[in-house]
Amino acid sequence: MQREFASREDLIAYVTQVFPGAKGAVSETVGGRRAALYKLAQLQPHSYGDTRNYLDGAVTGLSPYIRHGVLTLAEVRDYLQSQGHPWSVVEPFLRQLAWRDYWQKLYEQWGEGIWQDREPYKTGFTAADYGEELPEEIINGTTGLPCMDSFSQELQTTGYLHNHVRLWLAAYIIHWRRVKWQTGAAWFLMHLLDGDPASNNLSWQWVASTFSVKPYYFNQENLARYTQKKWCNSCPHLGKTCPFLGSYEQLQKRLFPHAELPQSHSRLGTRR
Amino acid sequence: MPNYPSPTLVWVHGDSLSPTNPALLAYPDAPAVWVWDEELLNQWQISRKRIVFIYECLLELPVEIRQGNVMEKLTQLMQEYGAQKLVTTQSPSPRFQHICQELSRQFTLEILAIPPLIPPQKYLDLKRFSRYWKVAEKHIYPH
Repeated sequence: MQREFASREDLIAYVTQVFPGAKGAVSETVGGRRAALYKLAQLQPHSYGDTRNYLDGAVTGLSPYIRHGVLTLAEVRDYLQSQGHPWSVVEPFLRQLAWRDYWQKLYEQWGEGIWQDREPYKTGFTAADYGEELPEEIINGTTGLPCMDSFSQELQTTGYLHNHVRLWLAAYIIHWRRVKWQTGAAWFLMHLLDGDPASNNLSWQWVASTFSVKPYYFNQENLARYTQKKWCNSCPHLGKTCPFLGSYEQLQKRLFPHAELPQSHSRLGTRR
Repeated sequence: MPNYPSPTLVWVHGDSLSPTNPALLAYPDAPAVWVWDEELLNQWQISRKRIVFIYECLLELPVEIRQGNVMEKLTQLMQEYGAQKLVTTQSPSPRFQHICQELSRQFTLEILAIPPLIPPQKYLDLKRFSRYWKVAEKHIYPH
């Protein structure tokens, strides 16, 4: 196959021709080692830990390169070491590298088993209660919820979502729309440049509660806080028909009426 | 075309798209190949942006690019180069392991390790991340 291209547009045209089944937009994120090393040099471990859960936080954008081995985990760690950063500064970021290593180790053990529920749902529902199909309005971005519609569009156009957004969108699909996590996970894998079966599926299972002790869910206050109210400010549902409105206790009763879950949910932030 | 015939062929796959991939480093003079796995791309309806991203990674690697059935294409390439040994890098993917198992019946197969984040442990509890992290944090970084 062709290796010489005059421009990125040329490459895109060629890909469109030789992979007629591959649909959709092209991301602005450029592949390759040069781009990866450039991103690595921008890494800000000092602010990463404090701001990573915020949409405008100092996230690194390294995940597509790490997923495809353009950079290895060890190499990223060695880079931090070469910069002389102390443990206290790099610990939050290293923890995220460790999550990737952890998922890969489980993948080695479980293989295709990452597609199966590792444990029963702790939501008071059984797997059979969850739908197989992803609702069209989620794919089309026409649910009428400005936040979720925007997340869906971003996934499909950029091939990237902030980690917190992944959790919110996954929780919405599983717990508010009661769709099987496998359906959502497959949709993410189509689009995410960093789409890795292990990291992706096992994170979906963590949200679903099939690989954790309780389901992950959020409320409007949490989403508003970490997005600087980007979507809430102009949302027609705000304060009225927002499905995420309420305390964690209220949402728990509404979403998981049959579940026996611990009462105290302090989910100010995101645990991961 | 590099070095016809060659006793060794390097197979680069989607978990190791770096020019410092251990197989490329160990056999710098051997021809290297990539095969787009058509079945996988179709099965998962992999979108155009993912393909473009990977293609851009490939353009920075000294690989010949093919597409089709991975097993068939690799077998064909081994014959084309007159190679007896196929060298690649490890991956936890069950699909990769299946392909390796089949190929190892026909050729010598060498699978090189990727430098690990933490040194291999005799026993590692993977029940939950917290248990893994208790061990990992001791080895992951000097402190």
